[in-house]
Amino acid sequence: MIERDTVVRRLTTVFQQTFDDPSLELNDAMTAADVDDWDSLQHIVLVLAVEREFRIRLNPAEVGKLENVGRMIELLQAKAV
Amino acid sequence: MSLNARSGVAFEETLSRAKTAAAGGDARTALASLFASVTPDSDFVDQARTARALKRVDFGALGLRPLSIALVAASTLEHFAPVLRLWLARMGFDAEVTLSPFDTAVQSVLDPASALRRSKPDIVWLFSTYRDLGLETRPGTDLAQVRQQVGDAIAARQALWSQLLDHLGCTVVDNIADVPAEDPFGNLSGSAPWGLRAMLRRYNADLAAAAPSGVVLFDLDHVASLWGRRRWEDARYWFHSKHAFALDATGSVAHAAARLIAGARGLAKKCLVLDLDNTLWGGVIGDDGVAGIALGHGEAGEAFVALHRFVKALKDRGVILAVCSKNDHDTASSVFREHPDSVLRLDDFTVFVANWRNKADNIRDIAATLNIGLDSLVFADDNPMERDIVRRHLPEVEVIDLPEDPSGFVAALARPRWFEAAAFSAEDRERGRYYADNAQRTAFREDFVDLGAYLRSLDMRGTVGGVDPFYRPRMAQLINKSNQFHLTGTRYSEAELTVLAASPDCVVRHLRLTDRFGDNGLIACLVLRRCERALHVDTWVMSCRVLGRTVEEFIANDMRAVALAEGCERLVGRYVRSAKNGLVEGLYERLGFARSAGGEAESEWTFDLDAARPGWTSSVQAVENNEGLPQ
Repeated sequence: MIERDTVVRRLTTVFQQTFDDPSLELNDAMTAADVDDWDSLQHIVLVLAVEREFRIRLNPAEVGKLENVGRMIELLQAKAV
Repeated sequence: MSLNARSGVAFEETLSRAKTAAAGGDARTALASLFASVTPDSDFVDQARTARALKRVDFGALGLRPLSIALVAASTLEHFAPVLRLWLARMGFDAEVTLSPFDTAVQSVLDPASALRRSKPDIVWLFSTYRDLGLETRPGTDLAQVRQQVGDAIAARQALWSQLLDHLGCTVVDNIADVPAEDPFGNLSGSAPWGLRAMLRRYNADLAAAAPSGVVLFDLDHVASLWGRRRWEDARYWFHSKHAFALDATGSVAHAAARLIAGARGLAKKCLVLDLDNTLWGGVIGDDGVAGIALGHGEAGEAFVALHRFVKALKDRGVILAVCSKNDHDTASSVFREHPDSVLRLDDFTVFVANWRNKADNIRDIAATLNIGLDSLVFADDNPMERDIVRRHLPEVEVIDLPEDPSGFVAALARPRWFEAAAFSAEDRERGRYYADNAQRTAFREDFVDLGAYLRSLDMRGTVGGVDPFYRPRMAQLINKSNQFHLTGTRYSEAELTVLAASPDCVVRHLRLTDRFGDNGLIACLVLRRCERALHVDTWVMSCRVLGRTVEEFIANDMRAVALAEGCERLVGRYVRSAKNGLVEGLYERLGFARSAGGEAESEWTFDLDAARPGWTSSVQAVENNEGLPQ
């Protein structure tokens, strides 16, 4: 399984690039409500960026579940390469 | 990560340059960097991030044309809209792209109080996909019902178009429907009239016939097929969020649509400026001469003929052609006057500039001569240095990077879609009969099942010639490369052919063939030797492309004519078996020759000539020609 720290580091870059905010830092409790622009439209951009960075394909149910950063990290630890 | 990361680094750098320039108020550099950071094939994440960065650029001073577009769809286009705006900026538009609420197409169009109707956009794009047309039907539905259903679907589109044309006076864009990759009936879906693919094809063809002026059809299906039909639909994002096509195809769709919209708004490119040496032919005309350049049949020259055809078609569609070459004018133009395989002729070019000045100045003069803006020009040159000079000095001119291998020239010209036209105007039509000719071509094969009638209808014309500088290389190549249709396996170099042709007992012939569909080029060679009262067929090679078209009979007649002219009484053919020439083992027998000697490995065949004995029947007609014939 991939290291949690590695996942967090790569995911942070994805967030910073997707939301165009280099100062953005992640925490497990973070949800869409905590990030400007993280709406349902930008969520799909985020998911595609995550899929690309971690070389995975998520199914529609998983796409919906990724609303919380902690859950996202867990899922990526399990699926990513 | 390797590949992604590498291209990712370049992307991040370009994007960051754009952002820095935008922050510093240099909108022009910012825009140029953004355009450099993505191609139509870039994935969705890169498209979306570039489109997002576009918001930082102040369009104020850039002189882009304002354009308002309303998207009306029954699928999710929220992610597409900003990317479309990006690609429209690339075409010179400051576009405002709005979306009608999801799945309210008909209401938005019909209700005078709808936001769409009140906003009066320049363009309304009815973004229909195959899912919106209701064309699915039960297996076995009869043809009349299929026609009815397709007709109803077209009528529904027409009703929307006429509402928009009447009430908004806007340009309407509608889609040629994408044909899905997967369906339950497999092949039958395309082959049975009730199949979904068959119905969509019928719908698409009828839609093209039904669209009035003012309605522009966007060929979404073509974009889908170019992008890759298997990947085109991403079922995950249809189920999750009603995206009708894969998000990674967003750039391809936006690019193609932006080009078409530019064409519809009069911003398509008007003129193609072409270099000559190593662009329209292989080699250097000043060094190699008309007979020495690579243009025409043979692997080195065919790519250039293909390019000629492509460029000629553009011209026939209404694109202005210009030449910009570092050359002596008379030497350069001689190719278009004298070269037998040059599809382009001198009068196809509206401006012909061949001199030794720099190309940036020449191109400026070409634009001035034609009285069009530099931003209407596309320049293609094989030389990276010339391209660079033009890019630096004339940034308004679009420069095409031709690849090293000329086989890729046509694709390099076609892929950027610089010459998209929304329609073919009456003015365009007068410039060429290309479309009419092409339509005749496709009608042909259907009309003639009877082979004899088909062959006669091909209007094949054969021209016989000897050894001359134009054809000698191709003759030697044919003799040395042919293995299948080669009776004796002999090989002769160009020099040997020249010597043979000069010998009093020898006749060297070639045959060129044209038909209604084009020029097949030089397709056969003969070396005939007179020995007392017999004419021996020393070498007979032919291109397998023209097999079974009575060309063999035509050649036999030609040999007969040579023999009679030489005072011979019989033709003597030889067959020398090789590993690959089984194809022609029975040729002489089929032509009525009698075996006179030999066995399986090698045999000799004789045909007694008698003025009264008729020749062979061939559908190929002889073209009168006296080049290189025996005296």
